[in-house]
Amino acid sequence: MPAAAIFVVFLWLPIAKGFVYSFYHVDFVHGNTFAGWDNYRTVLNDRDLVIAVRNTLYFVGLCLAIGFWVPIFFALAVSELRRLQGFVRAAAYLPNVVPLVVLYGLWRWFYDPVGPINAALQGLGLDSIAFMTDPDWSMVSIVLMETWQQFGAAMLIYLAAVLSIPRDWYEAAEIDGAGIWARIRHITLPSIRNLVLLMLVMQLIATSQSYQSQLAMLDGGPMKATLTYALLIVKYATAKLEIGAASALGVLMFLVLALLAVIRNRLSDKGAGA
Amino acid sequence: MMRSVERGILSRYDFRRPGVRLMYGAVVLIIALMVVSMLYPIFVTLFNGLKTNAAVNSFPPTFLPDGWHWRNYREGWQFFDMPLYLRNTLLIFGGNAVVVFGVLGAAAFSLSHLRVPYRRAVTTFFLMTLFIPPTTYIIPNFVNIKELGLMNSFWAFWLPAGANAFYLLLLKTFMDGIHHELFEAARMDGASDLRCFSRIALPLSAPICSTLAIFIFSTAWNDWFWPSLIMHKSVMYPLATAIYKYVIGARQLDLNIRFAILSIVMIPPIAVFLLFQRFIMRGLQLGSVKG
Repeated sequence: MPAAAIFVVFLWLPIAKGFVYSFYHVDFVHGNTFAGWDNYRTVLNDRDLVIAVRNTLYFVGLCLAIGFWVPIFFALAVSELRRLQGFVRAAAYLPNVVPLVVLYGLWRWFYDPVGPINAALQGLGLDSIAFMTDPDWSMVSIVLMETWQQFGAAMLIYLAAVLSIPRDWYEAAEIDGAGIWARIRHITLPSIRNLVLLMLVMQLIATSQSYQSQLAMLDGGPMKATLTYALLIVKYATAKLEIGAASALGVLMFLVLALLAVIRNRLSDKGAGA
Repeated sequence: MMRSVERGILSRYDFRRPGVRLMYGAVVLIIALMVVSMLYPIFVTLFNGLKTNAAVNSFPPTFLPDGWHWRNYREGWQFFDMPLYLRNTLLIFGGNAVVVFGVLGAAAFSLSHLRVPYRRAVTTFFLMTLFIPPTTYIIPNFVNIKELGLMNSFWAFWLPAGANAFYLLLLKTFMDGIHHELFEAARMDGASDLRCFSRIALPLSAPICSTLAIFIFSTAWNDWFWPSLIMHKSVMYPLATAIYKYVIGARQLDLNIRFAILSIVMIPPIAVFLLFQRFIMRGLQLGSVKG
């Protein structure tokens, strides 16, 4: 079974090596030397770690605040469209197929001080916003960009769930005198509840690992405002060439995310029992 | 039939009430705004690639081009060695597809239709990797490739492509649905396991394979970071990495040419999407049940 060999060499081996390297000073020229807890001490004493953890939590929170309810809302809205539903679906999904590098090039121009968004703001008589260079705005800018690209996929998944709810239920509820809001609250939302929870967990896991947009758009700046935890890992490995420390950070992250997964399993077990 | 032909949460009766109509109109308006904001950036890219540089830089920006300057595309094409990078991307895509269908396909086939010792354990061994977040081992993975001497080689993409538990799961689930009798009949006629796989299982899996092919294509087309880690020679860059290195950060590149290049990179995946919408939508559903 060649597949088993490939899995061992390219998945399990790196995972195991991650643990091993975190205890070594990795040196490609002179060979590795055992370091004990040195790497962990290095990263835990790094002031950037606090910044990175805070930024990551902030990013995850922003993604929830901005990006999480949007696809649910639009799935409900689009499911009620009687015409052109196929067109709306395709349009909503289209940003998903825009390559990442195009996304970066395009949004850099959008967020430019003399770009279209600031032009529109000025046209409305508002102050222009330094999306990229203002530390208060930079993370928000990235979340907006990623929401633009990704919400279509989530919307389509929700939409399929909403459309699979039997129409008779609404009919029956209406005959019993349930208003529109009551129908949404007591039929639609409970039906997609599990999916919502699942998507929530998947989003948490995905967004907590985010680094590519932050790296490509702003390189973690301005003033480390977009330095996420995963980006710190990459920086340790590429800029500082401290593979051992980067591996140690990876191990720490693994432990935290594993904890999350366990908590999540507990929660879903309880949810099923209740 | 008891069921009304067309109703959602709202019924025809609801639509007779003016308040509901007004709300519905507002919702439709919001959807229309959403559609516009989804499509606007894409058209901006296409149109900016056709303007003169002065027109792209005008403030406030205009939407429609001041003329159709197709020359930008030729200049963009010649800005760097686009055919080379395109070839690299396609090589990565082709090799990845071969490995996924060949290696993962064979593994999926054996797990669902052959007698494999410790089948449960083996399956767990594969699927466990789904739960380990890739970012946590991205750096060790890179060092691993380096120690195997695969830097600057396409094998660094092709071989790890076979280590994808998600694709394996999709293939296995699909092959579980193929009737066992089919293979027994073939074996009766003297076909070997290998023949069963290559002549029966794989061709029958064409629907799932086309979905996977689209996944593999978009990964190969999109991925810029990983190649930039393991490819240190610029002649080996795939298109996305080359764009990132030479176009996104470039200072001396006119905006209209830049947008022309971005358009060139954006058009193929959009074309693939419009042509194969059905497969992609199905792939999405698969992705959502995986958790």
